[in-house]
Amino acid sequence: MGGSESVRDIYNRNGADGSGSDSESDSKSDSNRNVLNASGSGKVCSNADAKTKTNAKVRERGGEKEKESEVILDTNELRLIEGHGRLKVRLSGNRIEAEFHNLEGPRFLTAYLRGKPAEMAPLVASRICGLCYTAHSINAAEAVEEALGITPGEEVVELRRLLYLANNLRSHMMHLLFLAVPPIKNLISVLRLREKDLVEAGTRLLSTSTQLIEHWGGRSVHVPNVVVGGFGALVRGKELMESIQKIESLRADARKFVEHVLEMELPELERFRTMISLKADGYPTYARSAPLIINDGSTITDEEYVNDLEEVVREYSTSKHVYFRGSEATVGALSRIMLNRRRLNSEAREYAERIEWRINPFLMVKAQAVEVMHYLEEIVEAGERLSDATISPNGYPCMGNGKKGRQAEPSCFTGRSGKGIAIAEAPRGTLCHACEIEGGLIKDYRVYTPTAVNSKSIEMDSVEMVKRFRPLGGEKLKYVLEDLVRCYDPCLSCAVSLDFLSDRGS
Amino acid sequence: MKAAFYSLTSCEGCLTTLITNLGPNLQALWKIFDIDYFKLVREPVGGEKVPRVDIAFVEGAVVTSLDRKRISQIRANSSFVVALGTCASCGNVAYSASRGVDLKRRRLRDIEIFEAEPLSSHVNVDFELSGCPVSAEEFTEALLRLLNGIEPKQPDFSVCYECKMRGNRCLLETGKACLGPIAMGGCGAACPSVGAPCYSCRGPAVEADLPAYLKTIRRHGIPEEKALGAMRAFTGKKIAELLKDGRK
Repeated sequence: MGGSESVRDIYNRNGADGSGSDSESDSKSDSNRNVLNASGSGKVCSNADAKTKTNAKVRERGGEKEKESEVILDTNELRLIEGHGRLKVRLSGNRIEAEFHNLEGPRFLTAYLRGKPAEMAPLVASRICGLCYTAHSINAAEAVEEALGITPGEEVVELRRLLYLANNLRSHMMHLLFLAVPPIKNLISVLRLREKDLVEAGTRLLSTSTQLIEHWGGRSVHVPNVVVGGFGALVRGKELMESIQKIESLRADARKFVEHVLEMELPELERFRTMISLKADGYPTYARSAPLIINDGSTITDEEYVNDLEEVVREYSTSKHVYFRGSEATVGALSRIMLNRRRLNSEAREYAERIEWRINPFLMVKAQAVEVMHYLEEIVEAGERLSDATISPNGYPCMGNGKKGRQAEPSCFTGRSGKGIAIAEAPRGTLCHACEIEGGLIKDYRVYTPTAVNSKSIEMDSVEMVKRFRPLGGEKLKYVLEDLVRCYDPCLSCAVSLDFLSDRGS
Repeated sequence: MKAAFYSLTSCEGCLTTLITNLGPNLQALWKIFDIDYFKLVREPVGGEKVPRVDIAFVEGAVVTSLDRKRISQIRANSSFVVALGTCASCGNVAYSASRGVDLKRRRLRDIEIFEAEPLSSHVNVDFELSGCPVSAEEFTEALLRLLNGIEPKQPDFSVCYECKMRGNRCLLETGKACLGPIAMGGCGAACPSVGAPCYSCRGPAVEADLPAYLKTIRRHGIPEEKALGAMRAFTGKKIAELLKDGRK
């Protein structure tokens, strides 16, 4: 394997030996107990969220902790992740604690939406993230539609799914090619990759999926075409089909890239936790009001999911952490693959069968690679379905009031009220938008991003990592910890939408 | 020559736009410049240290205490600072949004949150490249001008100009509160082309005539408040200044 002259011998060591650590032989049995302790301490803060008054107390507690505990590892500003973050590992007594800091400034986008007209939701929500913007704008449109009792046509849903797929593909390629793979191979940048053809293949996939979004969404980032009720207009339908064909021609590139990622050696860090993914007819991406599936085999509705979520303020992070049923949960590519891999498309499923899927966060990179293939196949299939339903600009489904060429008038929402939840599988995992509308104005708007949900798992995995691999020493461990965080594909710009100042609406 | 690409508080959509839309040309940047810092593309040389460069491209608004520190370091170490995108040039949605919440209600341990500001509120900015997100073509043009020692320039036309060139039907005529006439162009009229009214994501056009615009929308029966609401959403500071002038 190329680039295996790694300083971080951890990768090679674990290829051969699963347990990884030669000292601390009892670490495995011990770890579960300690993990429970760690989550127990988290609950102190969760009460504080409900009652803002107790907050001063929490801060004091944090101060005390700082005195007692000693920072044994500090990554400083995490490199090659979306947003600004930091990981600190503390040792207090015998207990190891990790803190996943979000240093990104809050932009208060959801707070801004309160009191604004409902049709503004997709526009503003899109700005939450520069990588998964269509996920945010489509979910926002859907949440508002559900609140106002609007049901978009089948074609609209199909086209949104296509946009979703293209965006997931783009985001995965961006993450794998630029952020995740180079550091695992011990390189400082994608531009240093020795396999130039691989970089070219990846870049082609990245720019072609961006073109697809551009043709359909009206712009490459922050698409204006997604509006409440459907789409603003049909843009260049012919070009859309052309770009789908262009993506189809990139199959060989995708294969090359996916195979390369699947062959990478990754550290072993198996730890059981709750995993959640959407459950749809096919492999889950975008599906209206689909249930969710948990890895204990149970299925819950979207409403139950939102009710089971709990926002927790951390005094070190600008974003809240989100707990599921009072504890951690992991969402994302690995959860999707583990819970739905039977539903993958043929070629992606073949790739998926090569890997022994276990709950090891490092495997998220490989899960994303398998998904790259799946998304590509899905886009091509969706293109075939849509080519029959060739849509002429005039007959294009958009919320009209009868007159030809006249689109949804925002004023038609005035005076309507309701609550809506939209859940879909964004690139980084289960994304949930929930809104309440009163008289056509947004009363409350909440976004539960995958990164906010995963934050707790990132901390607990870091603790586990440090426990198992501490003998390696701080310097080496720091790099692997950074890789661990990166594998989750955290997006701190997204997570900060659940900022530390936002209170749950009454 | 040395260049650097920084990111403050933002969605990082501007940098990803550059990365995806420059495509293979991204690598060409390294042939022209020595780039020690490019968020999302490479691990920075020297860790968190801000390198000394000729041109610094900065995306994002100044919100946290870390942002404030970072932007003054960037200014001190760069000969030419380019604000990349609307967050950096106008403050974007965060400008108005952060003025609607009580920031003192809760404090964090090692980071302080302030009202969002564009770069120009804190340091001197040499050139502003607006847009949410920034356009890769405009970026390339500005870069080429800088390399040849010519001052880069902002678009001096409104969104309507490009909208007409694309042959779109005027949205004001359909009763939508489109800000095209007073919004800075250069985006290729992306939103009106898909039937969505322009919300002026790049700030006001060079010679934006607010009173005349308000007169026009009144004639089309569009409520003034609606247009003003849309105006305040995205280009925070600049629109606030324009509205102040308009009242005088």
